[in-house]
Amino acid sequence: MLKALRGHCGALLLLALGATHAAEGVKLRPLPAIYTDDRGSGLKQPEGVAFDGKSLLAVADTGNRRLLKYTIAGDQATPAGEIRLAEIPYPIRVQFGPGGELFALDGRSRRIARISPAGEFKGYVEPSGDIQAGPLMPRSFAIERAGSIYVLDVFRARVLVLDPSGRTGRTIAYPGNQGFLSDLAVDERGTVFAVDSVGRRVFVAGKPDAALVPLTGDLRADLAFPTAVAVDGQGRIFLADQNGDGIVILGQDGSFQGRQAGTGWKEGSLRYPSGLCAGPSGTILVADRENGRVQMFAVSE
Amino acid sequence: MKTRIGVITVLLAIALPAAATAAPPAPQDRFRLKAGARGKLCLSCHATFQDTVSRPFVHTPVKAGDCTDCHDPHASSHGKLLAAGAATICSSCHAGLVPEKARSVHAPVLAGECIRCHDPHASRNKSNLIAAGNDLCTGCHAEMAKTISQVKFRHAPVAGSCLGCHDPHASGKSEFLLKKEVPALCNDCHRADQPVFAKQHMNYPVAKGRCTSCHDPHGSNNAGILWATIHPPVADKMCSQCHQEASSPAALAVKKPGFELCRGCHSAMVNETLARSRVHWPVLDKAGCQNCHSPHASARNALLKEPAGLLCGTCHADTIARQEKSLTKHAPVHDGNCAACHFPHASDSVFLLKEPNVVGLCGTCHNWKEHSNHPVGEKAVDPRNRNLSLDCLSCHRSHGSPFKSFATFDTGADLCVQCHQDVRR
Repeated sequence: MLKALRGHCGALLLLALGATHAAEGVKLRPLPAIYTDDRGSGLKQPEGVAFDGKSLLAVADTGNRRLLKYTIAGDQATPAGEIRLAEIPYPIRVQFGPGGELFALDGRSRRIARISPAGEFKGYVEPSGDIQAGPLMPRSFAIERAGSIYVLDVFRARVLVLDPSGRTGRTIAYPGNQGFLSDLAVDERGTVFAVDSVGRRVFVAGKPDAALVPLTGDLRADLAFPTAVAVDGQGRIFLADQNGDGIVILGQDGSFQGRQAGTGWKEGSLRYPSGLCAGPSGTILVADRENGRVQMFAVSE
Repeated sequence: MKTRIGVITVLLAIALPAAATAAPPAPQDRFRLKAGARGKLCLSCHATFQDTVSRPFVHTPVKAGDCTDCHDPHASSHGKLLAAGAATICSSCHAGLVPEKARSVHAPVLAGECIRCHDPHASRNKSNLIAAGNDLCTGCHAEMAKTISQVKFRHAPVAGSCLGCHDPHASGKSEFLLKKEVPALCNDCHRADQPVFAKQHMNYPVAKGRCTSCHDPHGSNNAGILWATIHPPVADKMCSQCHQEASSPAALAVKKPGFELCRGCHSAMVNETLARSRVHWPVLDKAGCQNCHSPHASARNALLKEPAGLLCGTCHADTIARQEKSLTKHAPVHDGNCAACHFPHASDSVFLLKEPNVVGLCGTCHNWKEHSNHPVGEKAVDPRNRNLSLDCLSCHRSHGSPFKSFATFDTGADLCVQCHQDVRR
């Protein structure tokens, strides 16, 4: 009887522990970081990164008020040009569109700019169609493979889904019990993931869903103040813990897969990481803001 | 042998259910006390206790002479030879004082410190309270008592009894130990259907509103016991400046959402905020200014909803926690003076800093040249990373760290050798 009880207790304990830290199996191995542009001029407080799925990396070099492009081959990044536009004086987020267009969210005007592959300003994304009047306040945005633009509009507490021309297709409502949503990501199936900096949670909405719902509980044991989220081709969710100087990895179901990096100046360490994206062949790229660099990591199980 | 085991099993099977249903022996039976060897016996040594039990209100076990209900006469792991810990002994008889889903619990109750209010033996006050009426409450809530005694406009029930509105133990219905949720509690005395009530509230349907968003229930120096800082439109009874007309179906709805509403009067401040590169994002969300400011009245300057440190900590709990764990406290963070370094609305600098240059910012309080001759400033390149220059945050973490002087690394072994690798031992 006692043995049986012990057995049950042991199993329950294992289940309980497993529920919080199912597998801390995902590791990040630092690869050479990106520090400079093609003239050897250093990055300054970069906040956003985007990868086009092939070889191009875009960086919102926020402190220098410009965008930078790099081509990535293996673990080496080669500068591929600078974009400096008066219409984007303070880029904080950057994304690639399907045709090689760049989109950048400007922190000062709080508008999303379209930039041609050649680096020309092509206007701002102006949502049209059936939307409530009033200012649009994008905290962040993401672009689906087919070109739909997902705008995290904090003023109306919603995610606006726009077609590539900017016409509103649908809206996804906030969950209602959030703290403050700082970033969102969209996977290949159109599933939206949003990160709550204050509640330290991730919310999710499937393609047809009208509202975000919790994917995780409060991850306070592993997160301090997450401000960015990315999803890779395998469905793994990466969270940049800005105030905790770490990267937390979750499974598709929200299960904890590991916490990596930590505070520091050495490569592989972070100081206030502000943005991240999935890179080429099993890598992620992190805008390591206070270290003035983009840190690349190889992801392994 | 097998037979003996069988017999024992049968006996156990009979005996166990009987034992389970039998009431536990009373403490006096447990100690097999002789007749007369109860409370009176204790008093033969504890002679001064006679005065205590002569008080008008005596705790029932004391009155019955059942000292062993609470005390073990031989030995105990607890002070005063108590039979159980102070946190649990009272609730062994007085269970149910805290509702199962309590929304607020009085701190001494939560801590099991019943004797902060009750004398466990006897008292001159009902319920064995150690002091009568509001004097009991003001023993701890002295600051509140001082305020109440000095205010120009008093709330009558406050002078009567705190227990008119508060439950002293816990409340399952409201925060602040309130007996009912606001406004139901207020409506017990204040009839919202009376013409005078409607007139005072400019005919707005406030009967279901939160009265304490405007009124200080403990009294105030402002007429109508409005909180110390009043939003001018409220003071001027110009509710329609922000809300729809009182006669409209959605009278309490505001005319514009978020910061757009406040911009009508505070346009200079809002425009200045929106012109910055970095806006404190909650300013721009659905609640906008109301994330931090009370729209009607507040006990604090600038209509802040909470004292600044607490207010910032509602979202930045991680930062507050870091300071609490920090070996060395940074005074502005410790004192909740976040605005010493940060602009609350917007800035052109990261972290919404008041100065773009960290050395300059820290220099407003700290005389750098007296501190050290270590090179800092924009020309001092960080040897760890050429994109960075050396500043105070190269060695210190301003909100706290596990190390002395809130250093980023252990000052004895790891900090200096981050750069000065040649002296690493």
